Amino acid sequence: MVLLENDSFLTELTRLFQKCRTSGSVVITLKKYDGRTKPAPRKGHTESFEPADNKCLIRASEGKKKISTVVSTKEVIKFQMAYSNLLRAHMDGLKKKDKKSKSKKTKATQ
Amino acid sequence: MPHYHTWEEFARAAEKLYLTDPMKVRVVLKYRHCDGNLCIKVTDNAVCLQYKTDQAQDVKKIEKLHGKLMRLMVSKETHSGSMETD
Repeated sequence: MVLLENDSFLTELTRLFQKCRTSGSVVITLKKYDGRTKPAPRKGHTESFEPADNKCLIRASEGKKKISTVVSTKEVIKFQMAYSNLLRAHMDGLKKKDKKSKSKKTKATQ
Repeated sequence: MPHYHTWEEFARAAEKLYLTDPMKVRVVLKYRHCDGNLCIKVTDNAVCLQYKTDQAQDVKKIEKLHGKLMRLMVSKETHSGSMETD
């Protein structure tokens, strides 16, 4: 699992989408993250660990290749804009609902 | 493990589930271009809410919900007076 900076993550995510255009799926996971880097202690040792409250972890995979990034409050605005654009740009293989069927765009397998 | 057929219900249930335990809940998005479908799942490992679609109009809704949950996750729960900057 490769942990990347936000920008590199977005670049790699673009590549994942492009790679999966002909076959395969892209799986993206989003989860709140409290910043821990060590596994939880087994026998009630005092947790010398302060959970952070302002981060989330985003993972993406196309089956074999896995990437991930951590987003915190300061980066979320910028990241979320770029991320939304990315999703909208790449998830374009779905059916459009217009009944008039002007010009049927066949799925261009580039 | 309900599969929702209306986006409204799914979005409401997903947000509700997240607010009950933010640390436990994860959101999974699976996109298959070759099959032309998108599936979103929100789970806390006990309850699992799912919504599937092949409609382009749902992409925007899904991406909006995703962004909303992302922002919820990074916002501090307690609104303390001073904002800490590191």
